[in-house]
Amino acid sequence: MAQLPGSDPSPRLLEFEEQTEVGGLYLQALMRRQLRLSLTLALTFVAFLGVQPLLSTFWPPWTAIKLAGIPLPWLVLGVGSYPLLIWLGSLYVSRAEEVDEEFTDLLR
Amino acid sequence: MSPSSAAVFGLLAMAALSLAAGLFARRFAHTTSDFMVAARAVSPRINAAAISGEYLSAASFLGIAGLVMQYGYDVLWYPVGYAAGYLLLLLFIAGPLRRFGAYTIPDFAEGRFDSPRFRRLAVGLVLVIGFFYALPQVEAAGITVETASGLPYWVGVVVVSGVVIANVTAGGMRGITLVQSLQFAVKVFAISLPAFLLLLHFGGPATPFGSAGLARLPQKTTYQVTAGELWQLPAATELRVSQPTTVTWQRGGLVRAPGAVSAEVAAPPSRPQARIRGRRLAISGRALLPKGTVIWQGAAAVTLAAGTAAPYASSTPVSTNTAWMGPFGPLAGGSGHSLLFTYSLIMAILLGTIGLPHILVRFYTNPDARASRRTALVVLVMLGAFYIWPPVYGALGRALDPSLYGSNLTDSVVLVLPSLLGGWLGQLLLAVVSAGAFAAFTSTLSGLLVSLAGALGHDVYGRWLRPEAGPVARRRAFQLAALLSGVVAAGLGLMVGQFNISVLVGWAFAIAASSFFPLLVLGIWWPRLTTAGAALGVALGGSLATLAIVTTMVATVAPSLELFLARESALAVLLSQPAIVTVPVAFLAMVGVSWLRPGPPAGVAAKMVQLHAPELLGLRRDYIPE
Repeated sequence: MAQLPGSDPSPRLLEFEEQTEVGGLYLQALMRRQLRLSLTLALTFVAFLGVQPLLSTFWPPWTAIKLAGIPLPWLVLGVGSYPLLIWLGSLYVSRAEEVDEEFTDLLR
Repeated sequence: MSPSSAAVFGLLAMAALSLAAGLFARRFAHTTSDFMVAARAVSPRINAAAISGEYLSAASFLGIAGLVMQYGYDVLWYPVGYAAGYLLLLLFIAGPLRRFGAYTIPDFAEGRFDSPRFRRLAVGLVLVIGFFYALPQVEAAGITVETASGLPYWVGVVVVSGVVIANVTAGGMRGITLVQSLQFAVKVFAISLPAFLLLLHFGGPATPFGSAGLARLPQKTTYQVTAGELWQLPAATELRVSQPTTVTWQRGGLVRAPGAVSAEVAAPPSRPQARIRGRRLAISGRALLPKGTVIWQGAAAVTLAAGTAAPYASSTPVSTNTAWMGPFGPLAGGSGHSLLFTYSLIMAILLGTIGLPHILVRFYTNPDARASRRTALVVLVMLGAFYIWPPVYGALGRALDPSLYGSNLTDSVVLVLPSLLGGWLGQLLLAVVSAGAFAAFTSTLSGLLVSLAGALGHDVYGRWLRPEAGPVARRRAFQLAALLSGVVAAGLGLMVGQFNISVLVGWAFAIAASSFFPLLVLGIWWPRLTTAGAALGVALGGSLATLAIVTTMVATVAPSLELFLARESALAVLLSQPAIVTVPVAFLAMVGVSWLRPGPPAGVAAKMVQLHAPELLGLRRDYIPE
């Protein structure tokens, strides 16, 4: 649990809150981890989107593929995007909470 | 579309339901905090439904389906981009911004950079983006009521604005949160059920993808044409007119400026009529018109047999099924720079979402960053459940009712298709989609009013004009600001009438992507960002995007500029979709200035702690006290 009122805060937490040199390093480490997580997931989806116009340009046969009568590009973009978005989102929420919790444990 | 009592019933029922829910929720709204951030006591699921309700505007409910029907595959970037914008919001903004405890983007600008001048710049941008986003909602309300019920345009504008103003002034954020979550449920139901039944009844999703040729009328169709109306005939067309009339005819199609589509809804080309230098033909009874473009010189009822290639009104490019269903069709391919256009479009939609002020305000209604992230995740699920449906209407519309191309009603395809099921079921579904459309523009307009009233009441009044004002005066100011913004939006909506203002929505997205997006991302994640760098980046990105889009707008009334852009097609693409240039420029300006003249604002370390320290440590405080 969080810092209980009345109890003495740990020295690491004080360093962090006061942003001493060491405290600054703690924060930097936390931000790096969170940012790396966010960038990895964001780039995954951007790559998924970005590769589709390239496919259409440099490998046109893919636009002719049909699944149950529906062109594959429609299914991939118009339907497949959403499960991927939701999956990446839920991965993020659980990982980000883990990072926050580990960090809290470290400072306490 | 003919006036229908079912549609009127659906609209009225939704108006009554919204008002009743607003009145009910009003009982819980007392304090300033209730009004502005719903006292931060909203559960993630209700809050997510409210955010989704607010996010799914008229453009999402009606516009996307119409655009898919017109342009095909390329339009799929819009719904996917709108949903994916939310992923980016979740990944980079949702948690830290909630922790920071600032209520509006101007709060963030001042809180992070200690600059009241920066706040004013941000307030200005919020107001500009907010009003440009509100206008199309008001306009869509008028047009939908007009086409669905036959009532005059102003009735829709007045009824929708009235309901929204009443709910926002009476209950503020607390009040509309309940209403918007209800409206979200109505919208998802209204878009998915008819689509599902249509798919069942008309033989599955493969229907519109079956043939390679032109869109052909599935049954005998009668159009009511008026003098001056333009038709593009994609093939030789046999028709019968009710009374003798004349047409001017020319070989070939229209000259079209490349990339003439804004971020949300297609803008019709300026004055195609002026370009016709064709032959005059007198028609009576039956006639066979050759392929080309015609302008009707008099009013008539024109009947085309089943199987005839559907004629197109001036605003829609003619396309074969193959071009329509493939990538780089009439939307992206028409520009001559398909890849550039596509990437810039994706960028504007994805990044613009993050900078929309009425979306960001919502995250402060969460109790903490953890709830804020979970809310954004639920929103993603909800948006996905909604956005797979609009393209279904667009695709079915091409197969089942291509007459909408000629009557220029593709934007109402969602309202037209359900009645094809016929009988009481068709009428019932028509009532349902009408209610959904009503929910779409009222909920978005409510959110915009809260954010406009927040900017005026909280930023302009509470921080600038009367910083010493007490909570009661602040609440009054919020209510008055909501009333004023609503009246102004409705008034502008009445004035613009049928003029195509969707360009303004594109403007709003482009400005948001190139100003607030870099400000938020760098402001949150890069401690060394300086005040000067941030301000210059916001000003440069915002004004470049504005300049690009104003140039595109001017080109529609200045023929010499339009011709110049028609030759310099790459430039034209960049001007109509500026994000791919303006977003990097804003980023470079921010980073460059901060590097050249280092010196981040005092206390930036404490601010970074506030943005990123997990609540579990127990260090937080908020801008708006409970």
